[in-house]
Order: sequence, then C-alpha cells, then structure tokens
Amino acid sequence: MDTFFEQFPIVFQALNVGFLQTLKLFAVTLLGALPLGLIISFGSMSKFKPLSAVVRVFVWIIRGTPLMLQLLIIYFFPGLVFNNPIWGGGEDGRFIASAVAFILNYACYFSEIYRGGIQGVPIGQQEAGQVLGLSKSQIFFKITLLQMIKRIVPPMSNEIITLVKDTSLARIIALQEVIWAGQAFMKGSQGISGAIWPLFFTGVYYLIFSGILSLLFSYVEKKLSYFKA
Amino acid sequence: MAILEVKDIRKSFDNTEVLKGIDFTLEEGQVLTIIGSSGSGKTTLLRCLNSLEFADKGQIIVDGNVIFDGENTKRLSESELRNNRLHFGLVFQSFNLFPQYSVLENITLAPKLLNKGTKEEIEKEALELLESVGLSEKKDNYPCELSGGQQQRVAIARALAMKPRILCFDEPTSALDPELTGEVLKVIRSLADKRMTMIIVTHEMTFAHDVSDKLIFMDNGVIAEEGGPDILENPSSDRLKAFLTSF
Ligand SMILES: Nc1ncnc2c1ncn2[C@@H]1O[C@H](COP(=O)(O)OP(=O)(O)O)[C@@H](O)[C@H]1O
Ligand SMILES: [Mg+2]
Repeated sequence: MDTFFEQFPIVFQALNVGFLQTLKLFAVTLLGALPLGLIISFGSMSKFKPLSAVVRVFVWIIRGTPLMLQLLIIYFFPGLVFNNPIWGGGEDGRFIASAVAFILNYACYFSEIYRGGIQGVPIGQQEAGQVLGLSKSQIFFKITLLQMIKRIVPPMSNEIITLVKDTSLARIIALQEVIWAGQAFMKGSQGISGAIWPLFFTGVYYLIFSGILSLLFSYVEKKLSYFKA
Repeated sequence: MAILEVKDIRKSFDNTEVLKGIDFTLEEGQVLTIIGSSGSGKTTLLRCLNSLEFADKGQIIVDGNVIFDGENTKRLSESELRNNRLHFGLVFQSFNLFPQYSVLENITLAPKLLNKGTKEEIEKEALELLESVGLSEKKDNYPCELSGGQQQRVAIARALAMKPRILCFDEPTSALDPELTGEVLKVIRSLADKRMTMIIVTHEMTFAHDVSDKLIFMDNGVIAEEGGPDILENPSSDRLKAFLTSF
C-alpha cells in the first residue's frame, strides 16, 4: 500500500473533479430555483383560487416527500414507465435529471420563503406609499423590496447552506459528485483501494464551501441590520 | 366654495353596510374633527377620501371637481387615481414610516420620485418641515431610533411634503404612550394655527374641542350629530350624550 503522501495528489485531483460536479449542481439549482420559486410563490398567493390550490398541493407534495425519492422517480420514471429514457445515459443524463429534481424541490422551499417575505411586509407600507401618490412599481422597488429582502435573507441562507450538503444526494443515481469520487477509493480506483481517508477528506470541501457562504450571508445580514422591519 | 364636499357616501364590506350615507362639507382652512366609538366607520371614511377604499355610492368633490362618483363605474386609470390621492394626505395611527430610510429620506422620497422640484429645493423644504415639527436634529436617524411621538411627527412632515389640500389624521395619538400624545397634538395645533385644512379622527376630547371649527359624531355608519365645538358641552342626541359620558 502506498503512503498517504503518494496517494494524496491522485485523490486530491479526483476529488476536485467530483467537487466541480457538486458545485455545478449547486449553481444550476440556484439559477433555476431562485426565479422559479418566485413564480411558484406568486401562484400560491394568486387570487384565482383553483391556481393557488393546485400550486399549494404541489408544494406540499414536494416538501412533504424526500428529495432522494424525487431524484429516483425523476431519473427512472420516464425510462421504466414510458420506455423513454429522456435523460439519456451517462454522466450528462444523470446531471440533467439531478438538476431537474433539485430545481423543482428547492423552488418549492424558496417559494415559501418568498411568500413569507412578501406577506410579512405590513400592508401599511404599501398604503403609506399610495397616499403619497407613488405608483405601484415605485412602491415595490423603493419601499417594499428591500424590506422583503431583509426578511428573506436569513431563511434563504439556511436553505442555501443545506443545498450545499444536499447535492450529495445525487450520489443515489450515481452522479459523480465529490462523495462518489471519495468513495471510489474504498472500492478501488487508480491503484488505490481500501482507503477511507478520501471519504473523510470530502468533508473538508463541504466545510470550506459552506463556511464561505456563511460568511457571505452574515455580511449581507449585517449590511441590512441598520434598520428594523 | 367649499374645499371639500362629501355627498351620500355609502360603503359595504361583504353585505354589511359600514357607511350609510355620509354628507358634509368643509371650508378651506377649517379643521373638522370626527369622533365616534370604535367600529362606527371613521377609518373607512378617511380611507374612501384617500382612495384606499372605494365607496359604493356617493360623490367626493374637491375644489368643485368631482374626484369620485359612485355612479361612474368606469375604473379610474392608475394616474387618475394617483392624482386624486394627491389632494389628500393621510397620517396613520401606526405611523407607517419607511424603516429603511432616514428621517430626512422618508420626507423627501415621494417629492423626489414625483419630481416636485430640484433635489436642493426638496431637501431644503424637508428640513424646514422637520424644523417645524421640532426634529431637525433627528434628520439622519432611522425610524427605529425614534420614539412613537417622534415617528408620528415625522409622518406628519412626510405627509405635508406633498402639499396636500386636505390633511387627514386617523387617531394619530392612539398608538402612543400618554406622555407622548402632547407633542403630536401640539404639532397638529400649530398646523391649525397656520390654517391647514384638516380632518382629524380622534378620541382626545379636550383637543377636539379646542382645535375644531366643526365636529362630526359618527355612530354606526351615519352622522348622528354635527356642529361646532359646543356640541361636546351640550350634546342634543342621546347617542352623543352616552358616548361622551364614556370619557
Ligand atoms: N376591509 C374590511 N373588510 C371587512 N370589514 C371591514 C373592513 N374595514 C372595516 N371593516 C368593518 O367596518 C366597520 C367600521 O370600521 P372602521 O371604519 O375601521 O371603524 P372605526 O375607524 O370607526 O373604528 C367595522 O365593523 C369593521 O370591522
Ligand atoms: Mg379606526
């Protein structure tokens, strides 16, 4: 068996490749789920009752079942039931299926956060703008938006840091993210087998990344702490 | 000509009639005080005047121009609505200052967004208004750093900055600790001295007596009695008598 110092460069290289996939899934999920969540939140607040009912049931189902189950269903369902594996095989197909599952799941969580932020701004703020003669868009952009953001940032930062760790769930459909890459050295890969330390070492990637995000969010929260809303 | 004529305003919420035909007129420079027990429709009336609510029936006429007509079912455009709102100002019971803006910015926000002058003019006027409500030294503070009385004085300055023809107050001191009501009432009194046309909903009877040219007692959606300040001393209706003994 090689020494740790001989193994390290090989493992480090492999974990970096895996972590890149983790990061990609993280970024694509945010890019899709942040705007989709806003649309879903508007749907759930719609005055058109059938729409808001359907949206709320959808959100309830997605939030009430495990993301891992959703991943499996989204990945395997089209192929097994319709005999139409729309995602295609290989790593690209697994990535697309993972991204779809993550975006849907996180959009539902985000929608509830947006809804809380939007409904949390007292109606008196809007009315104060109205009686001063401001237009709807002036009221939204100049008065309510920042108050919503202030309300949204703390729960959003929790959710986003959870997302960092949740990306590892894509391992269940064999997406080659960082834990998959670490685990490979237990079974045997690139001449290294039975090594447990690479798996432990994947934790370092998560710690550093979630640590950076925590710092970023606490900076934003601090920036917004000059007022109470 | 009266600055404001209100004719037969009626308003229902889900089949309960909250305003059952309100009529009154107000002359320029006069102070009208509205009293009445909770639930009698005072807030709803002010909200109808400020186009935050729309009456089902009746007319609102400002300076001889009909700004609201219940018969006219055509929906007002957003800009017509905003113009109507500019005739009135409204000071809320709960102040509703914008928390993310400083005191000065709260006052200058709307005039700046609506291009009511150059930045310098608007800020100069805002500082004068702050001076007149006694808060010059708080101009850079945020609302959360002020007492309720100070917040309400800023809210008054903010409303005045848009130069409304008629300034409405909805129980401006009801959310304040008793020791803070005086400073707000003093500001309102000073506006009355400057002949600002005002409609004030209040439960402060001594203040109402001193400041009003005209009083309206609302009860269950109707004007049960109206007159000069003397109706507080010699009420003619039993309902006003009963209401006044509750103080
Ligand atoms: N938006 C609303 N929807 C339903 N009922 C309302 C609404 N606003 C006011 N009301 C009802 O109208 C009545 C008069 O309310 P309000 O005008 O606030 O009275 P006041 O200000 O004199 O206490 C109350 O019974 C209140 O419950
Ligand atoms: Mg009221």
